[in-house]
Amino acid sequence: MKALQIRSVSIRYVVGKKEVRAVEDVSFDVQERDVVGLVGESGSGKTTLAHGIMRLLPPNAYFKNGEILLLGKNIVKMKESEVRKYRWKDYSIVFQKSMNALSPVHRVGEQMKEALLIHQPNLSDEQMMKRIKEILELVRLPSRVIRLYPHELSGGMMQRVMIALALINNPRFVIFDEATTALDVVTQGQILDEIKKLVKDLSLTAMVITHDIGVVSEICNKVAVMYAGRLMEFGPLDKVVYEPLHPYTKALLKSHPDFLEPGEKMMGIPGNLPDLTLPMKGCAFAPRCPYAEKLCFSETPKPVEVNGRVVACFKVKEVERA
Amino acid sequence: MNVLEVKNLKKYFPLRKFGKKHYVRAVDGVSFTVKEGEIIGILGESGCGKSTLGLLISRLELETEGEIKFKDQKISETLKLPKDIRRRIQIILQNPYDSFDPRFTVGDSLFIPLKINQIGDSDDDRRNMILEYMEKSGLTPSKDLYRRYPHELSGGQLQRLSILRAMLLKPDFLVADECVSMLDVSVRADVINLLMDLVQSLGTSMMFITHDISLGRYVSDRILVMYLGKIVEMAPADVIMENPLHPYTKILISYSPTLIKKKTRIPIKGEVQTLLSEPKGCRFAPRCPYAQDICYQIEPNLVEISPNHFVACHIVEKEAGS
Repeated sequence: MKALQIRSVSIRYVVGKKEVRAVEDVSFDVQERDVVGLVGESGSGKTTLAHGIMRLLPPNAYFKNGEILLLGKNIVKMKESEVRKYRWKDYSIVFQKSMNALSPVHRVGEQMKEALLIHQPNLSDEQMMKRIKEILELVRLPSRVIRLYPHELSGGMMQRVMIALALINNPRFVIFDEATTALDVVTQGQILDEIKKLVKDLSLTAMVITHDIGVVSEICNKVAVMYAGRLMEFGPLDKVVYEPLHPYTKALLKSHPDFLEPGEKMMGIPGNLPDLTLPMKGCAFAPRCPYAEKLCFSETPKPVEVNGRVVACFKVKEVERA
Repeated sequence: MNVLEVKNLKKYFPLRKFGKKHYVRAVDGVSFTVKEGEIIGILGESGCGKSTLGLLISRLELETEGEIKFKDQKISETLKLPKDIRRRIQIILQNPYDSFDPRFTVGDSLFIPLKINQIGDSDDDRRNMILEYMEKSGLTPSKDLYRRYPHELSGGQLQRLSILRAMLLKPDFLVADECVSMLDVSVRADVINLLMDLVQSLGTSMMFITHDISLGRYVSDRILVMYLGKIVEMAPADVIMENPLHPYTKILISYSPTLIKKKTRIPIKGEVQTLLSEPKGCRFAPRCPYAQDICYQIEPNLVEISPNHFVACHIVEKEAGS
């Protein structure tokens, strides 16, 4: 079953008289119980896409075209009032900065109650407390957290509260937006383990947004690589991370110290992100790509299936041989 | 020859809580030496005192107790140091947006330290020197960038400039405190390579502070792992990664996200605490899965288990002895 289908989605921001093409013509499918990693540099459009899926885009953003089928419904066309019925119940998101996402003047318990009440207004106090304790146990927090304010919690605990909040209404699809980026190594590892376990135990479908390929290789089974708002490569983890075919994926991995042969030097990607306010001709990565030729600058490569994954690159054959 | 000798260095920050005076033991009795041209990596989670150690050594913070010798010259006990010593110990900070004066052009920010230290024969000479280094480090067009203000540049460009600012003074010792943790992966590799090139070509010794284990291994010759103000393990980088002995190092490595597939996590209890009261026994004991009675009673010393491999752990010591 497909949990999420993204069909040639483009999202733009209106900034003054200009339009920023944050997401351009992205398509991929997420099967039920998949954990998809969405990787890319900052400015690659990964968070915009995620917020688009949640219909949480700021007022100056709009869907240029495309459709997103989430759990069988087209999110793009939905009225806001209808979105509210499903959001946080059938699908939810864990934000990057938990300290900004939680209310500083309400106790954790109150905030959790509110999330429950909106979608299940008939619950009694006892039922609510039972559910809150249950969910806190699931993310391995002591129940005393209910009475605490966010500032009394450590970063790791706050992130766990955020995960608990996202899971409280038993959603089927959850987005983790850089959910572990600001945390310490050990805490990050623990939370990744918990996400892995929750996904398995609750049969969740998840999308993990991160710039750290290490994180992706720990918990995801599929990976989507984005650059300048476009999808570069998408497929199973083993294919994309361990046998990358797109020059951008390759370059990204070469800048991670773990992926080097002994004695090999880390390599950055020369150049900068293209200006997203200008219409782009050709492949977005061409100006920084070592394989680029004339064709790459004039035509946009279509994603094609090569060796078990989807790649948008004209030079795949050459990259594969290299 | 040793560039730096640190003996029993301590830094306590006073903290008033409920009228009673407490101390945060940020650095609590740290001793080590750094050889000429050596790169020493400091690893640890937030709150372990690694940044405080960096500030103490770069003489931006006064120690509570202990001795620091720089090239056989004592530099501890006072922050009033001769200009020449100030020049020879430099620091690169984490956030380049905070470490440049927003009212100066970046060119001026690089020029002023050169002028103060009388490096170069004339102002023109100094300017040319800066421009030349900027060209070499990929900051082009250098003349244009020289006149820009910090807010007009990207994080990667600024961090490259702060590396130049430190290295133009030809220091003997450089402290790099999480100098790439704010940067995007693709930029990170280039900044690290620039830093390594400059440090190696000038024979500068460096203290590389990081929480990223893969990066620490890539950069450092020797690694020093800290936990709550103490050194728990110290060994050459490859040795510590292939054969970590201290339980904390083992845990840290087992939890760090990497692309390498083989991995078994070691269970760990709780989270990093801040130490306010006088600790008894090993600081890691409350979280250590192997802790025995003795660990709660007596504080372990840093012992040389095998040549050049120092560990502070009763259990490791016992095993090595038997």
